[in-house]
Amino acid sequence: MAIETATLNAVQRAPGVWRQSWYRFRRNRAGMLGLGLVTLVVVVALIAPFVAPFEPTDQSAMLRGAARRPPDAIHWLGTDRNGYDVFSRLLYGARTALLVGLGAMTIASLIGVIIGGIAGYAGGMTDELLMRFAEFFMVIPVFIVILAVVRLFGIVVVGTWMEDIPNLNLLTIIVLLGCFEWPPIARMARAEFLRLRNAEFVEAAVCIGTPRRDILVRHILPNALPSLIVLVALGIGGAILAETMVSFLGFGDPKAVSWGQSLYFNYEALKVAPWAVLAPGGALFCTVLGFNLLADGLTDAFNPRLRQ
Amino acid sequence: MGTARYITRRLIFAVCLIWGVSVILFAMINAIGNPIEILLAERPGITDEIIESVTKYYGLDGSVTDRYFTWLWAIVRLDFGTSIIYNLPVSEMLVIYGMETLKIQIPGIVIALFVSVMISVLAATRQYSKVDFGVIAGAMVGHSLPGFLLGIILILIFSYWLGILPSYGAYSTRNPVMGSEVIDGLWHMVLPVSMLVFFNTATLTLLLRSSLVDVLRQDFITAARASGLPERRVVFGHALRNAFIPVLTYLGILFGLMLGTAPVTETVFTWPGLGALYIMAIQQLDYPLIMGATMIITVMLVTATLLTDIAYVVIDPRIRLG
Repeated sequence: MAIETATLNAVQRAPGVWRQSWYRFRRNRAGMLGLGLVTLVVVVALIAPFVAPFEPTDQSAMLRGAARRPPDAIHWLGTDRNGYDVFSRLLYGARTALLVGLGAMTIASLIGVIIGGIAGYAGGMTDELLMRFAEFFMVIPVFIVILAVVRLFGIVVVGTWMEDIPNLNLLTIIVLLGCFEWPPIARMARAEFLRLRNAEFVEAAVCIGTPRRDILVRHILPNALPSLIVLVALGIGGAILAETMVSFLGFGDPKAVSWGQSLYFNYEALKVAPWAVLAPGGALFCTVLGFNLLADGLTDAFNPRLRQ
Repeated sequence: MGTARYITRRLIFAVCLIWGVSVILFAMINAIGNPIEILLAERPGITDEIIESVTKYYGLDGSVTDRYFTWLWAIVRLDFGTSIIYNLPVSEMLVIYGMETLKIQIPGIVIALFVSVMISVLAATRQYSKVDFGVIAGAMVGHSLPGFLLGIILILIFSYWLGILPSYGAYSTRNPVMGSEVIDGLWHMVLPVSMLVFFNTATLTLLLRSSLVDVLRQDFITAARASGLPERRVVFGHALRNAFIPVLTYLGILFGLMLGTAPVTETVFTWPGLGALYIMAIQQLDYPLIMGATMIITVMLVTATLLTDIAYVVIDPRIRLG
């Protein structure tokens, strides 16, 4: 008996699903590139206040008559038509972008997992109704509806207590994106809960009298996570893109320093100051590409059999 | 469940969907109160009587439910009311601007389909070769490059630096290109259509290539090859046909995506289409126009989804309906 235990301890524990996935992910060059890009954006967002050469609200270049100047030693990426330093705004924009992406996907994941989880675990009529509800949100022109809601909500709040919330407009966009982007997560959560509901380890948990809440949260949900994480990574990129497009059309938060705002303010001056448009555009592209590649790499890492 | 019953069910769902959007829209617009008051408030010479009479003119007096059903009944008869800002019938405006939108979006999808078939065949028949990896990498990058950024880059290169293509509008205001209105119109379409083609090609190629790779591995392809068919017929005749099924279902989604982001595309190119009209309408709070444009975009989108759903079951009898 003692010997057996000793042997068991000596044998290295088999790597878990997360570690195995990481081994596979590490070999995927495109996925690692995506991870690198995403890490870069996160680092930039964290250190922006310490490395940005100018304040994001500094328009002093305007007074010196140095607006719309091409890149030089002081303004690394030039100045835009409002006299802002393009490089500094680019760095600060990463914060807004990540805030939007993470905020929207947190809301979307919560709604999606709850609705999808209930549908998958309960089944029957509940399942049918909830999935039709999700399909409704998938077919309607989400972007068009968001534009209208952002604009109309901006009028509703005038004169109410909500007017005093800082960056209310940005918050509205984040909440709206979250409320409209959950259906893919709900569908995936449903499929996973449906698959795992009858798994042997779940039956075992039921047999030993585990409360239903623990079965759902501690046994089924962790096993559904890999598929959901892929969708969340994709969704973060999508939400950042959506916020940029809303801002680009002029319905964004005028007080927020976001890439979309820079695009909106500088698009008219594209001919004279292309750098002020290309810089935030390039940042957006790198971020979206990063999250797309990351999601792709994660799909391969979690489901090695899908790989071709 | 038979095909007919499936189609009926999808049709009923589509109608419910359009109705649902109309309810949301109407509720939202009513949440902000009387639009006439907001539009006319604090303008000189506006008295309460004027506001009242204008409100009556646009049929905005009466209870919410009354107004909703009046509006719904009008919509069913394709009467979207009169635009407040432009004082034109909304239905007429939607047709004119809608045609401009379709004018760039339909070529955008059709050309992209042809191009992506060619590229995908090239890549899938040489799986894991340099060409294949190049195509995958290119498609992945193209798929991640937001369409409107590509549009901006195209304008910068071809309009501002090279100065050969117009950067905005669908027609020249004076002096049409080469003295012909038709050529002028086509010339203006080049940039927006190129942008849409590029974006759609990238997305379609990603899908079609992997689908084609899957199909080329199957037994019936080996059988076709063994029977001595020329490779060209195996690929284009047998494989492509089957590889196309997932692409077909995606076409509806792609069309919806393009239509949904039309406001962005049309802002970049200052294109006088439905998306640009929609932006103007919500900026200026032109209610009949907002409602009309949203309804028409929803109907187009739902129709596209419905058609692909139906095409799916008609083409592939293996699909289990449910």
